[in-house]
Amino acid sequence: MKKAYSNKAIIFSLVFPGILVFIFAILAPICLSVYYGFTNFSGIGSYDMIGFKNYIELFKDEAFQVSLRNSFLLAVGFICIQHPLAIITAAVLDKLGRHAEGFFRCVYFLPNVISVAVIAYLWKFIYNPSFGLLNNIIKLFGGKGDFNWLGSGSAIWSVLVVLIWHGFGWGMLIYYTGIKNIDPSLYEAAAIDGATNRTTFLRITLPLMRPVIQVNVTLAIISALKQMETVYLLTNGGPGNETQFMANYLYKQAFSSFRYGYGNAISVIFIIVCILATQVLNRVFKQDEGVAA
Amino acid sequence: MKKLLSIALATSMALSLAACGAPASSTASSTAPAADSASSTASSAPAESAEPVTIKVFSNLPDRTTGQGLVEQTIFDSYMAANPNVTIECEELDDAAYKTKFKAYAAGSQMPDLVSVWGQPGFIDEVIDAGLLAELNPDDYKDYGFVNGSLDGFSADGKLYGLARNTDMAAFFYNAKIFEDNGWAVPTTYDELLALADKAKAAGVAAVSMDGADKWPLAVYLTDLMEKVDATGVMTKNHDAITGKDFSDPTYTKACELLQQATTAGLFQPGYETADYGTAKNLFTNGQAAMFYMGSWEMSMASSEDIPEDIRNNIKVFTMPTVEGGKGTATDISAWNGGGYSVTASGAQKEEAIKLLNYMFQPDQWTRIAWENGVCMSAQDFSKFATGSETQTQKDLMNIFAAATNLSGTPLNDMGTSQFKTVCEDSVQELAIGKIDAAAFLDKLTTVG
Repeated sequence: MKKAYSNKAIIFSLVFPGILVFIFAILAPICLSVYYGFTNFSGIGSYDMIGFKNYIELFKDEAFQVSLRNSFLLAVGFICIQHPLAIITAAVLDKLGRHAEGFFRCVYFLPNVISVAVIAYLWKFIYNPSFGLLNNIIKLFGGKGDFNWLGSGSAIWSVLVVLIWHGFGWGMLIYYTGIKNIDPSLYEAAAIDGATNRTTFLRITLPLMRPVIQVNVTLAIISALKQMETVYLLTNGGPGNETQFMANYLYKQAFSSFRYGYGNAISVIFIIVCILATQVLNRVFKQDEGVAA
Repeated sequence: MKKLLSIALATSMALSLAACGAPASSTASSTAPAADSASSTASSAPAESAEPVTIKVFSNLPDRTTGQGLVEQTIFDSYMAANPNVTIECEELDDAAYKTKFKAYAAGSQMPDLVSVWGQPGFIDEVIDAGLLAELNPDDYKDYGFVNGSLDGFSADGKLYGLARNTDMAAFFYNAKIFEDNGWAVPTTYDELLALADKAKAAGVAAVSMDGADKWPLAVYLTDLMEKVDATGVMTKNHDAITGKDFSDPTYTKACELLQQATTAGLFQPGYETADYGTAKNLFTNGQAAMFYMGSWEMSMASSEDIPEDIRNNIKVFTMPTVEGGKGTATDISAWNGGGYSVTASGAQKEEAIKLLNYMFQPDQWTRIAWENGVCMSAQDFSKFATGSETQTQKDLMNIFAAATNLSGTPLNDMGTSQFKTVCEDSVQELAIGKIDAAAFLDKLTTVG
């Protein structure tokens, strides 16, 4: 076995398919995107090189700014609402034990198992102003119950609720696995020392969960920036462009307006934003580690 | 060990390099034909040779069991029956997915032979410019009874590149029973229409069910209002405004204000801007809305078994009422020829595809089958197939069309590029919900036009 791994031909043949896939499925499309970002290609026929015109237009484009803002808003929602709740839920689940633990773990994870299309339509019906569940509940409690949840002004918040709710189970499951990996003897020692649940959570669970939190938050921010399918099916960015998100806007420009050049320019900015966000997060976590050490 | 490793590697290599399979295209299946097409096979193109021919069709009608998809499939089946050597392979996608894949096909070297197209500048101009469509011989269609002007959208520089499938008309489908029960009269002026908003609210139903989420019905509504404000030459006006980037004509401002009056008065159902096509239609077909603003293709509601009998038997039609101070009369209507078919220049079976296209549009094919099944009004003379046993909805639409003195032509959103269409539809929704005013709306159109 060792001999096989030291053979250069074998090493090459092991690595080659991976590199090939990377070059043709990731690197080449990115390079093509950069190239087309400088053109006015519509998807059909000839095109011209137009320099940075797409990028200049992009920075003036209100809808793009809204979509960028919404993507960051979602990322903040994930970090400030979804993840604290997910950690606490995971910690509580861990303490439940027996059947209840398994039952609630399944219940919380359920939205992740259901197809995005079903989720989107489910919420469309819940939010429906005429016969939706939400308005009917409000009516039950004596309210007027005619609020248009996906209408102008409230749409973005309604969409954020769905997205935060939908991703909750996934985050919770990762935190739950992280907590399960913490050595139980630490909790036993803390209990002997008379530590309360709160102290145990803050002094043992949270510090030992640092790497899990780091991975989970990075994943959450990337998924916030990449958000597309739920929004596409729920509002398609409407009304107007109020609930527009970066990936959805990219799709709309490239495949509805048939501005491939412009769409590619958005994708280039999109990649840069994603890389920047990851870098910033890595720095933040590294600094934290420094402080903690 | 080494042997095992190399086998594993070879397998992974084969998997990673395996080319994607060709997209599955459904071979034309034989669904139950909606109409007896035996009578028409006599005039079909005879089987000239026994050499097998496969014609690839790319269609925007994914539902092959009802409506226009069924009509299309019925014709394909009868063509294959008359020409045993011909196999028609049809790939179908809905409009949005269709347009995306159409572009992908266009970027490749070979396109399907017969394709769905839209005879509107936003779609067809760049397709014709790129030389993707085969030229058709107008003389072939002299006796086909195409409505005057219906092929204009499919022509460029005096050459014909496609045939129009339907005549589409914007209309208010109304539930005559709700009107009768509440003692409402069919509105003859826009003010009377707006007055129905409050009356409907009092009766516990929505006045007009509007598909606002898809946005284009709002743009059609706006064009409809333009037709009432300024009767003649709306299409030319739109064309000039878009190419000249000048929307200063007062007709635009007036139409925008009228649209906003409707939404302010609460004419459309609450949350109309988030209601998609199905939701809006269901509201009407469940009796929760008195009217449904949509295109004439919805005449099939009257013969649909899925709709409760007491509703489907009471569907009648009126068009946009006249507006105060407008030049348009009751018979100046919003109608256009949208979808159709073209043969591609690069298709492998160009000549065979043209034969199939010609067969499809022989007057006793698409026109007859679509009309007899209450599916839609074709772009050809369909009145000769009227038997008197049509649904009330069909009769209403036929009478309105027969009495029309002026047609608006392609709606505003479809008059420009794809980018113009997106901006126009986004903005008209913002205009309707009162997020922007007429000036801001026209400003957006000017910028993109």
